[in-house]
Amino acid sequence: MEGKETHGSVGGASTSSSSSATKKQSKRPKYSRFSQQELPACKFIVTPTVVISTFVAIAIVFIPLGLASLFASDNVVEIVHRYDDLCLPESSTAVQHIQSKDSNKTCAAKLAVSKAMKGPIFIYYQLDNFYQNHRRYVKSRSDKQLKYKADADDTDSCSPEATTDKGPIVPCGLVAWSLFNDTYKFVVQNKVVDVNKKNIAWESDRNHKFGSDVYPQNFQSGGLIGGAKLETSKPLSEQEDLIVWMRTAALPTFRKLYGRIEGDLQVNDNIEVVVENNYNTYSFGGKKWLILSTTSWIGGKNEFIGIAYLTIGGLCLFLAITFILIYVLRPRQLGDPSYLSWNKQSPMP
Amino acid sequence: MKRYVYINDDESPTQDLYCDNRISNRKYTVWNFLPKNLWEQFSRFMNQYFLLIACLQLWSLITPVNPASTWGPLIFIFAVSASKEAWDDYNRFLSDKKANEKEVWIVKHGLKKPSRAQDVRVGDIVWLRENDEVPCDLVVLGTSDPQGLCYIEGVIECPNPDKDIRRFDANLRLFPPFIDNDVCPLTIKNTVLQSCYLRNTEWACGVAVYTGNETKLGMSRGIPEPKLTAMDAMIDKLTGAIFVFQLVVVVVLGIAGNVWKDTEARKQWYVQYPKEGPWYELLVIPLRFELLCSIMIPISIKVSLDLVKSLYAKFIDWDVEMFDQETGSSSHAANTAISEDLGQVEYIMTDKTGTLTENKMVFRRCCISGTFYGNESGDALKDVRLQNAVASGSPDVIRFLTVMAICNTVIPVQSKNGNVLYKAQSQDEEALVQAAAKLHMVLFSKSGNLLEIRFNASAIKYEVLDILEFTSDRKRMSVVVRDTRDDKIFLLSKGADEAILPCASAGQQTRTLNEAADQYAQLGLRTLCLAWRELKEDEYQEWSLMFREASSTLVDREWRIAEVCQRLEHDLEVLGVTAIEDRLQDGVPETIEMLRRAGINFWMLTGDKQNTAIQIALSCNFISPEPKGQLLLIDGKTEDEVCRSLERVLLTMRITSSEPKDVAFVVDGWALEIALKNHRKDFTELAILSRTAICCRVTPSQKAQLVELLKSCDYRTLAIGDGGNDVRMIQQADIGVGISGREGLQAARAADYSIGKFRFLKRLILVHGRYSYNRTAFLSQYSFYKSLLICFIQIFFSFISGVSGTSLFNSVSLMAYNVFYTSIPVLVSVLDKDLSEKTVMQHPQILFYCQAGRLLNPSTFAGWFGRSLFHAIVVFIISINAFAYEKSEMEEVAMVALSGCIWLQAFVVIIETNSFTVLQHLAIWGNLIGFYIINWIVSTIPSSGMYTIMFRLCSQPSYWITIFLIVGAGMGPILAIKYFRYTYTPSKINTLQQAERLGGPILSLGNIDPQQRSMEKEVAALSITQPKSRNSVYEPLLSESPSGTRRSFGSAAPFEFFQSQASRLSSSYSRNCKDN
Repeated sequence: MEGKETHGSVGGASTSSSSSATKKQSKRPKYSRFSQQELPACKFIVTPTVVISTFVAIAIVFIPLGLASLFASDNVVEIVHRYDDLCLPESSTAVQHIQSKDSNKTCAAKLAVSKAMKGPIFIYYQLDNFYQNHRRYVKSRSDKQLKYKADADDTDSCSPEATTDKGPIVPCGLVAWSLFNDTYKFVVQNKVVDVNKKNIAWESDRNHKFGSDVYPQNFQSGGLIGGAKLETSKPLSEQEDLIVWMRTAALPTFRKLYGRIEGDLQVNDNIEVVVENNYNTYSFGGKKWLILSTTSWIGGKNEFIGIAYLTIGGLCLFLAITFILIYVLRPRQLGDPSYLSWNKQSPMP
Repeated sequence: MKRYVYINDDESPTQDLYCDNRISNRKYTVWNFLPKNLWEQFSRFMNQYFLLIACLQLWSLITPVNPASTWGPLIFIFAVSASKEAWDDYNRFLSDKKANEKEVWIVKHGLKKPSRAQDVRVGDIVWLRENDEVPCDLVVLGTSDPQGLCYIEGVIECPNPDKDIRRFDANLRLFPPFIDNDVCPLTIKNTVLQSCYLRNTEWACGVAVYTGNETKLGMSRGIPEPKLTAMDAMIDKLTGAIFVFQLVVVVVLGIAGNVWKDTEARKQWYVQYPKEGPWYELLVIPLRFELLCSIMIPISIKVSLDLVKSLYAKFIDWDVEMFDQETGSSSHAANTAISEDLGQVEYIMTDKTGTLTENKMVFRRCCISGTFYGNESGDALKDVRLQNAVASGSPDVIRFLTVMAICNTVIPVQSKNGNVLYKAQSQDEEALVQAAAKLHMVLFSKSGNLLEIRFNASAIKYEVLDILEFTSDRKRMSVVVRDTRDDKIFLLSKGADEAILPCASAGQQTRTLNEAADQYAQLGLRTLCLAWRELKEDEYQEWSLMFREASSTLVDREWRIAEVCQRLEHDLEVLGVTAIEDRLQDGVPETIEMLRRAGINFWMLTGDKQNTAIQIALSCNFISPEPKGQLLLIDGKTEDEVCRSLERVLLTMRITSSEPKDVAFVVDGWALEIALKNHRKDFTELAILSRTAICCRVTPSQKAQLVELLKSCDYRTLAIGDGGNDVRMIQQADIGVGISGREGLQAARAADYSIGKFRFLKRLILVHGRYSYNRTAFLSQYSFYKSLLICFIQIFFSFISGVSGTSLFNSVSLMAYNVFYTSIPVLVSVLDKDLSEKTVMQHPQILFYCQAGRLLNPSTFAGWFGRSLFHAIVVFIISINAFAYEKSEMEEVAMVALSGCIWLQAFVVIIETNSFTVLQHLAIWGNLIGFYIINWIVSTIPSSGMYTIMFRLCSQPSYWITIFLIVGAGMGPILAIKYFRYTYTPSKINTLQQAERLGGPILSLGNIDPQQRSMEKEVAALSITQPKSRNSVYEPLLSESPSGTRRSFGSAAPFEFFQSQASRLSSSYSRNCKDN
C-alpha cells in the first residue's frame, strides 16, 4: 500500500500520534550498469581523420567496383532490334493491321553480330509503356487456381476475365489473358537455329507455383481475345511462356526471356529473324524490341551500376580532397573552448 | 446532507445505507475490461484514424495490400496497450486485495474479534495496535493514554464524505442524552484517516465513519488529469502537419490518377477499364492513395513513446545517486509520461522550509525584555548571561521559559530510561521545548488537561483550559492555562512578530522587539514572539462559552473560532523573541547555482518573513550579492502604494534587463494579492522580465496562482516543495516535484516526482530530463523519417505504375516494416548519451538546447523530412535502374528497395547515435540479420508471393552491389553534411563532445566542492543593518554580504565571465523564443 503517513494528532484532548513520517523504507535501488545507464560505451565522433579516411576508403572501394561493373557490362554483347515500326505495312493504320485477322503479320529483319557471342545467348523481348504493374492488372490473377486443380473456381480476384458461360477461365485474369504472342524464328548463316524454350521460367515457379495437373480451360474463348492462346493439352507448369509472363514487371519498360540459343555466334554472322508481329502495342503507343544478349556476373548489359559507382566514388574522393584542403587551409581545432563561450550573442547554430 | 453514524449498533439503518470497507482502485473488471479499454483507446484521435484506415482496407477494390498489413500492427499495438493496462490493473487488484483482507480487530459487545478489513462497517468500533495501518476513517474514542475517554453509545453527526482532509466538522451525541445539550464537537483532530499508521500509542480504538471508497483518502484518489509534455504537444503538431501533407498528396495523386485513367488507361487494352464505372469511381483512386499513404503517420509511435517513457521513469527510480541515505528513500517517478519536460524546465518555483532547508529546527538566539542572548557565541543556550539569569531566577526569563515550555501542542513521552522525549507536529515547537528543557524548564508530562513542568527540581502543575490553535491566517497560537498553585488563569501566546506585536498592551515599548525580530530575520533565522497575559476568572468564563459554541458549529467553524480567539488575544505583555535556525540542506547552493547557469529561473515562494527569505536566498545563491545582484521590492500598505511600487519596479526592470545584472524582485503576500487582482498585466510583464523572484508570506493558493501565471505565459514550470501547503502548487505546475521530507509525504504523493533531497534536482533535470528530451527527440523524428521513407517510395512507384495506386511492397513487408524492422534499433537508442553526465554537470548551460526545443522543432523535423525524401529518391532510383529490364520482376525490385531502406535505417541510427553500448550493437546488427532471417523464412513458404525471392537475391552479386551502392549514395552526403556542420558550425553540444574526446574538461572550472554552509560561519562576517528606506526604488542588498567572500572560487576570471554571461544569454534567449 502506498500510504505511510500519519495525519494529524489523534484523540480529543491529548492523545498522541506520531509526527514523524520517516518510516524507513530502505529501498536502495539495486546497482547494475544498465540501470545506472553506465554500460561501457564507445563514442562515435566525426573527427576529420575518421571522416576523411571514410571518404577515401569509399572512393577506393567504389571506383574499382565501378570499373569492374562497367567492364562486365561492356563485355556483355547485346543486339537490340526494334521491330514494331518496321513490321507495319504502309497501307493501313497500325491498329487496324494488328487487329485484323487476315493481314499477314510476319516480317523479316537482318541483324549483324558485331562481336563474338558465347552461348548460351538469351533471347528477350522488350516492351515499353506497358504497365504490368497497373493495379487493375497486377491484381487480376489467382495464384491458387494456377497451382491447384481443385481451385479452378477461385476466380474472385480475376475480374473482368474470370468466367465464361462454360465455366471458370483457367488461367483467369488480365495477366494471363494478355499473354504476349509475338514469335521469332532465327536463321543464322542460312541455317535455322533452334530456340530452346525449355527452362526459361524460374524453376520454383514451375515446380511450386504452377500446377502440373492444371490444364487451360475456356482460355481466350470469350468475345474479346487478348493475347496468345494456350495448348490445352499441356499443363500450366509446362507453359513456360505463360509462367514468364505471369512474373509481372515492376517497371513499364521490361524484358522477358523468350528462349535461348545454345550455340555461339561469330563476328559478322548474319542473323535473319522472322518475326510474327501479333501483339498489339500500337493502340497505346508501346514499342517492341527483340534482344539477343550474353550475360555476365552482374547480369545483362547495365551500365547504370558502373556509372553510379564511379560517380559516388569520384564524389567521395572529391569530398575527401576538399575536406583535406579545408582542414589544411582553415585549420580549426576541435573542442576549442572559444567556440563554447556562452556569451556570444549570435544564436546557436 | 448529513450522515448519522450510530456507534456499535447492529440494528441501525446505517449498516445498509453506507458501503462496506472494501476499497477498490481498479479501473476495470474482468467483464468490462475489453469494451472499456477499447473505448478508451479509441477515444484517441490517432487510433480512430487508424481504425478508419483499417476498415477501409477491408474494401478489396481500394486496398493496395492485404488488410492484415494494417490490422496486424493495429491489433498488436492495441494488445500492447491493453496488456499494460491490464497488468497495472492487476497490480492494483492485488494491492487492494491485500489491504482488504488485512486483519483488523472489531469490538462487538465489548469483545475484540478479528475480522477482515473489508468487513468493517460504518459504526463499527475498530481497535488498533501500535504500528497498525488504519483501515478506514475513524473518529477516535479512546487510546492507551489513561486520560482518553471512552464513549459507549451515541451518534456521530457528520457531513457527507468529501475529499478535504483538513476538515471534519462533526458532532457527537451520547445515548441516552445525559444532558440535553451534550453535544461534543468533533474536528479533524479527532479523527484518524485511512492508510495512516498508529504510532507512539499502544492502542487506540475508534468508530468507523467513512469506509471503503468513501474515505477522505478514497474521495481524493481518482485519476489525475494526464499531463501533456511540451514535446508531446510538438509531436502532435508535427503529426498534424504530416496529416495535412498526406491529404495534399492524396488529393494531388487522386486527381492525377483519375486523369491518367481517363486519358492513358483507356488506351491500355490489357487493363480493360469499363466505359462506365459505378458512381463512386472517382473516389476509388484517391481512397487507394489514402490507404497507401496512411503509413506516413507511424502507427507505432505512441506505443514506442509509452515504452521509452516508462523506461526513463525506471531509470529515475533506479538511480543510485538519487538515493537518500538519510531517510532511506529512493527517487520515484510517479508520473511516467513527462520526463522530457524535465529537460525543458524554464522556471522552478521552490518552497523554502524543508525544501531548501533541512527543516531541522535549532534554537539559536533570543531576546528577553531587551537583552540579546546568543549574539556572541551564536548559541543562546551557551550564553553565560542567560544561564546566570536562569540560575538567579530572573522573573522575565522564567516567564519566557514557561511560555516556551507550555505554549505548544508538544507531547512529552517518558522513555524507559527516564528521559523525556517530545513528540511534536511542529518542528519549531519541538525546538523551543527542547531549548527550554536545556535551560532547566522541563515540560515533564501531560495527562488529560493537566500538565507538569519542572523547573530545576520543583514541579509546577498547570491545567490546560483551552488551546487556541495555530492557523496560517492567524499566524499565532495561544493556550489558556490555570496555575494550580494559585488558581490564576493565564493566556500564553506565541506567533509571528506581526501577529503578536499589534496585540501588545498599549503601554509596552515594542521597538526593541521589532528590531530584534528584524535582526534575526536578516540572519535567516525564524523568529517567534512570546507573550502572555493574566486573565480574570469572569473574563475567561464569559469567553469560554463563546469559544465552546464556536467550536461546535458546523458552518464556518474555522472563521468563527478565529474571531472568538481574537477577543482574548489583546493587551498582551510581549516577553521576548526567539530565533530558530533552519539549516540549509547539503548542496543547495551548488544545485541552485548550477540550475541557474543552466538557464532556469528560480522563484522562491515561502510563507516566511521577507528578511528571512532574502537571507536564505542569498546564502543559497538564489540571488547574487551586490553589486551584481539587485533586489527590487514591491510593497506598500494600500493598494495605491503597491501599484506605484509595482510600476517603479517594472520600470527599473525594463531598464536593467539589457544589462548583465542579476535583478530579482521581492514581493509579499499582501502586495502579491493586489498585484494579481488589479495589476495582472504589469505583474505578468514583471514576471517575464525577472529571472528571480522571492515571494514571501504567500498562501498555498497564491503559490498555485503564481504557477498558473507563469504557465499562462507559456513557460514550463517546475514546482518543488515538501509540505501540505505546497500540494496545490505542485499539482498546478507542469512538473511537480515533492521532497519526501520531515513534513510528511503529502507533497511527495501529490507530485510527479519525489526525491529525497533538494540537491537531487540537478541530476533529475540535467541528467534525466536532458537525456529523456534528447532521446525522445531522436526517437520521434526517426519514427516519422522511416515512415515517410517507405511512403515516399510508394508514391514514386505510383508514377511508374500508371498512378493507379499499386503498392510496391507486399503486405508482409509493410506490416513487418513498422513493427519489427525499424522499431528495435530505435528503441535501444534510449541508452544513447550525447555527453557524459560529468560534462553536463560541468556545463549546465547545455540545457539551453532542450529548453529552447532545439532538437525537436519544425526545422529539425524538416531536416528529417528532407532526409527521408533524399533517401527515398536514392533507394528508388538505384533500385529501378539496377534492377531494370530483364531483372525488373516486381517482388525482386520490392525486396531490393526494402533492403535498401533497412540498410539505410541501420546507418542512420548509427550516424545519429553518439555512444554505442553492447545493446545498441546487438540491436542494430541483430535487427539487420533479423531482417534477412525473417525474409528467408517467408521465402521458404511456397504460397507466399515472396517464395524463393530472398534466396535468389542473396545469391546474386548484383543485389549486394546494389545495396552497397544505396548505402554509399545515401549515407555519403549525410556524413559529409554532418561532418561539415560538426566541424565548421558546431553546436555547443558538438564542441563539448569533441572536448570530451580530447579528454578532460575544456575549462578548468574547478570542481565545485560542496561547501559547508551553516549559518554560524556566516554570522561573523555579517553586519546587521537595518533595511533602508522602503520607498527607494530598490534596496541595495547587504553590501557586506557574506556571500561575497564565501564564493572565493568565483573570482577566477573565466569562470565569473562564463557564469554571468550565461545567465544573460539564457534570459535573452528565452525571451526571444517566446516572442516568436
